[in-house]
Amino acid sequence: MSQELIDAITDMREDDVLRITNELLDGGASPLDILNACKAAMEVIGQRFETGEAFIPELILAGEMMTAVSDILKPRMAEAAASDKLGKIVLGTVEGDIHDIAKDIVVFMLDLNGFEVTDLGVDVPAAKFVEAVQETGATIVGLSGFLTLAYDPMKETVAALRENGLNVKIMIGGGQIDEQIRDYTGADAYGRDAMAAVALAKEWVKES
Amino acid sequence: MGNGRTKVIACATVIEEMLPLMPPELAYEVLDFGLHLVPGSLKTRLQEAIDAACADGYDTIILGYGLCSMAVVGLQTRTATVVIPRVDDCIACFLGSREAYTAQNKKEPGTYYLTKGWIEVSDTLLDEYNRTAAKYGEARAERIMKVMLAHYKRLVYIDTGTDNQDFYRDYARKVAERFDLRFEEVKGSDDLIYRTIFGPWHDDFVLAQPGQTIQYTDFKTSATTTNNLNVFSQTLPQRKDSDA
Repeated sequence: MSQELIDAITDMREDDVLRITNELLDGGASPLDILNACKAAMEVIGQRFETGEAFIPELILAGEMMTAVSDILKPRMAEAAASDKLGKIVLGTVEGDIHDIAKDIVVFMLDLNGFEVTDLGVDVPAAKFVEAVQETGATIVGLSGFLTLAYDPMKETVAALRENGLNVKIMIGGGQIDEQIRDYTGADAYGRDAMAAVALAKEWVKES
Repeated sequence: MGNGRTKVIACATVIEEMLPLMPPELAYEVLDFGLHLVPGSLKTRLQEAIDAACADGYDTIILGYGLCSMAVVGLQTRTATVVIPRVDDCIACFLGSREAYTAQNKKEPGTYYLTKGWIEVSDTLLDEYNRTAAKYGEARAERIMKVMLAHYKRLVYIDTGTDNQDFYRDYARKVAERFDLRFEEVKGSDDLIYRTIFGPWHDDFVLAQPGQTIQYTDFKTSATTTNNLNVFSQTLPQRKDSDA
């Protein structure tokens, strides 16, 4: 894994990130190597965010760099791995909340890790989640919310999915969500960051 | 130490609105506003402040906070009763009730709120932009702000009725214009802040008794016990509309 690439991402040096990515690929590195460096860098940024060394601007810049890197990688990855998607996920920020910076990173990481993600955007009513699951046949739902005001809509969305008899596993995340909130909303699990969301989704598709 | 001693521990933005109503003899401590950006450190700092107030013999501690991104969840009190308004954050305190906040949020979830206190502690979008520009240059700062505000439609200035509202309102309007947000002004209410200071602490408040730990669900269920620690009920000062 390229420490140079990891450092460039965590230092928010966008131009260097693109240059190093191209150089690595030209030098024979696999897209997977690049992705692993990206994941490692995102983990560092995630930790810094937790401890107050990084803030929203850094998350936004990181998100932009990840998109730029994936634009370079995607054509190559399509050739390399034409394997089927791991599973289908419906994801969105619940009603009453419009924050999506962290949610977008989760969508991005799930996509990178081989999931077919339907992103419903922000301020999404419970009925829309139900509809999307019915339409896509997704087996996993991700509910995002940054504000504590989002926890009640989350609870309502979980209830709506269950009431409609949909056989989905539900994960929640965003802000300071913890076990107490998971319990309150009735979701199956919560994740602290994008890596946790990927790990949960992988575990769940293995079980099914 | 003596009985009936009360201490207020409040965020810098909330104390702005509390001070004009507070009796001069009421002890208080102001915590840095920036702590809210890192809920973990706010929790640590609040626990330290509660422990110190308990050690100093206060038997009632009023927190000028809300749930504040879960920062108050897990706080323990050893010897004092801790009182917290049952709200998500300070916006509800400024608007006067949890219901008023919910109504505003329903009307437009993409709302950025400002008050005199927030402007005073330099936490407006303009400050955010300046901090970001200093670190990453103006072009990147512009881009970052666009992403950050992608779903924000409205800036609401809450007129809390304290001094110099005109100055802060104009400032808020400029912030709104600068970032293409619809400007609206909403009249605040000091009702909840007043009751936070003077009680009675009924359903709108979370009360943690000595030995208890504050839970998330405390903010969801109604309090069944009505506290009688309304120490200032006999000496209510005249309500003032300015902090002169």
